[in-house]
Amino acid sequence: MTTATLTAFRTLDQLLPGQRAIIQKVGGRGAFRRRMMDMGLVTGAEIEMVKAAPLGDPIEYKIKGYHLSLRRAEARVIVVDF
Amino acid sequence: MAKHYTIALAGNPNAGKSTIFNALTGAHQHVGNWPGKTVEKKEGTAHIGGHDVVVVDLPGAYSLTAYSAEEAISRDFIVHQHPDAVVAVVDATNLERNLYMVVQMIETGAPVVLALNMIDLAEAQGIRIDRKALSTGLGGIPVVPTAARQGTGMDALRRAILQVSSTAPNHRGSPAWIDYGPEVEAAIKTLETLIRQRPALREAYPPRWLAIKLLEGDADILALPDVVQDQALLEALDEAAGRIKAAAGEDPETLIVDRRYAFISDLVRRTVSRPSVEAITLSERIDSVLTNRWLGVPIFLLMMWTVFQMVANVSAPLLDWVDGVISGPITHWVVALLRLVGLGGTWVESLMVNGIISGVGSMLVFIPVLVILFLAIALLEDTGYMARAAFVMDRFMHLVGLHGKSFLPLLVGFGCNVPAIYATRTLESEADRRLTAFLSTFMSCGARLPVYVIFGSAFFGAAAGNLVFAMYMVGIGVAILTGFLLRRTVFRNKPTPPFMMELPPYRLPTLKGIWLHIWERTAKFVEGVTTTILLMSVIIWVLLAIPVRGGTFDTVPPGDSLFGELSRVLSPIFAPAGFGQWQATGALVSGVVAKEVVVTTLSQVYVGTAHAPIPEALPPLREDLADIVRSAGEALILTGQEIVNIVPRTVNILPGVQMPEAHFLGEEGESEDSTALESALRRSFTPLSAVAFNVFVLLYIPCVSTVAAMRQEFGPRWTFFQAGYSLLVAWIVAVTIYQGGLLLGLG
Repeated sequence: MTTATLTAFRTLDQLLPGQRAIIQKVGGRGAFRRRMMDMGLVTGAEIEMVKAAPLGDPIEYKIKGYHLSLRRAEARVIVVDF
Repeated sequence: MAKHYTIALAGNPNAGKSTIFNALTGAHQHVGNWPGKTVEKKEGTAHIGGHDVVVVDLPGAYSLTAYSAEEAISRDFIVHQHPDAVVAVVDATNLERNLYMVVQMIETGAPVVLALNMIDLAEAQGIRIDRKALSTGLGGIPVVPTAARQGTGMDALRRAILQVSSTAPNHRGSPAWIDYGPEVEAAIKTLETLIRQRPALREAYPPRWLAIKLLEGDADILALPDVVQDQALLEALDEAAGRIKAAAGEDPETLIVDRRYAFISDLVRRTVSRPSVEAITLSERIDSVLTNRWLGVPIFLLMMWTVFQMVANVSAPLLDWVDGVISGPITHWVVALLRLVGLGGTWVESLMVNGIISGVGSMLVFIPVLVILFLAIALLEDTGYMARAAFVMDRFMHLVGLHGKSFLPLLVGFGCNVPAIYATRTLESEADRRLTAFLSTFMSCGARLPVYVIFGSAFFGAAAGNLVFAMYMVGIGVAILTGFLLRRTVFRNKPTPPFMMELPPYRLPTLKGIWLHIWERTAKFVEGVTTTILLMSVIIWVLLAIPVRGGTFDTVPPGDSLFGELSRVLSPIFAPAGFGQWQATGALVSGVVAKEVVVTTLSQVYVGTAHAPIPEALPPLREDLADIVRSAGEALILTGQEIVNIVPRTVNILPGVQMPEAHFLGEEGESEDSTALESALRRSFTPLSAVAFNVFVLLYIPCVSTVAAMRQEFGPRWTFFQAGYSLLVAWIVAVTIYQGGLLLGLG
């Protein structure tokens, strides 16, 4: 994979408050990745960024009708389309 | 004929599982830990239709993988214990994610009953659920709408539990109603055939479920002896996984999770109707204030400050009351009883009063503190604020390798380390719980304060406050460094668990839920720590009673007792830290019982007698009873005063503001005569060795109550490690301060 294709990806942490996106791919590995998928972060799911915490991190999202918070570093492994 | 059934409650956190558990079992419940885990196990009994039913409340989880302790416990129970029914509790307002775990439960072949909880909230939001279609879509399991908080639907749920329990004898087939797609289904079929040829596996697990778990790469299943040694099966698995990856471009695990969610999305689309325009819920409006960009942090700090005030100050009058009743009336009665049987004035009397009663007393005084802490935690958790507190503070706590939720236990630690240990239960990962509990013992608790105060006023006069402040800072500093150290050593192979956390809707807590929370945990504390604390105070009593340099049993001066001798043997260890005199060592030894005992012992060995004197003439029973009632009344008034005083104490943090505090019972003139002890200390310590001694008191083994609480929560190994580590660190820091001070010419 070249750097050019890498920068073409948009990741979940780039969403702004109120923006919605569709999940394309869930990165990460092992237990961490599985946990994200178990929480409903699966390919094709719609996700909305609600807001960032007062100190800038973590971020609150709305997915599958509930509110989920992720650290920016965790959101970065999820590729989205918006 | 009456039968015995065992049923399990399972579901996501915040789905109302505890409320259903409480409604089913009432007060007939027992709280313990799952064997070898720091995860709480709740069990209760219910009588349904004349049958005895044991209800096991499985820990809240989002999935049935083996990645977290909670999930593994739930899964092992459902798969191996064969409960007669599994009640899957789901939040009807958030069906999609909740059903994900339900589907996994059904896949194990367990007899599942679905409780559509909080149906009232769902209906209020305009959500309509077609129960018949939902039941059909889930393979025909009973679907019962409930609002456990109001008690609605509980009878129907009981009937469904009974019906499933009595009609599903060992129904262990795994329904095949989720189509995982051609590639995965082909692999499942291949593996299933192999599993059916192996009696050991076939009998222990539903074959289709086991095949799916193998394809998911489930760590626990892959580690089964019957799987590890089965080359043929593992090769078939590898080959199948490879084929899937080649054909579908994804690993089997991802495909399986995706398909499961796709199945649920489709089911929800067919059975649930929502209003086309989603209203902004009250919960979202509350949240926009509580986690607001500007208000979020101040509100958080205010909440935590209030909890701290409640634990540290509001509990104080009640604590004094318990202490007074034990050292007054209860002691009098025990003494009277002993005199009645002719044991008055003997060593038995002294053992009872100074060993056992004072030991039990030093544990009972924690009860008001714990009740208030558990009340505060129950309120924070049941309303949903705890998750927001973690959300607001995570960035800051993450800097020192901790989770946002670690803040509360650490803060509570400044009041008392014992409730801090229990407060770590709010954390989700075991590693975080262990680390936070470990670090919380370095938070300078209220019992250490009297030590700093007496040394401060003996050596630094008006600047005594600086010593106190410095001690708090040293504690925090050591905790931060220890955090870094442990993350890089003990927890090296356990990466910081992901933060990923649900922010549940805000809800009003129920009185019953809060009461049960407080009662269960306080009872468990008493049950768990009594023996350790009692043993320790009896040991100290015996050491003080045994004469080794003349004198008689129990009346020997401390210096001539076995205690004094032992202190002399140990004291050279502390010489490099500047306090090698045996009296200081003795105070440290007995300070293990409770840190404020350091002052008591110092006062005994420098100025006073060994054991507290027992009064000759006892007050009449009537007077003692009146005293208990009067002091209880006073304690309640003072508790009210402390609650009111949270306001001025909070306002007074602002610079330049002086709001007076309320005094409901007039000013107290509390001035203990400590000048004799202070001058004795000045003869025995230098200012530098006094500082080193205080640092040692701050850092070494937390009191025996904390040790007992830690052992109860984390087992003996972690507790010994903590005790050893804190002793070593205390010694190193104290020696460094003393020797460094000498080098700088401060001696």
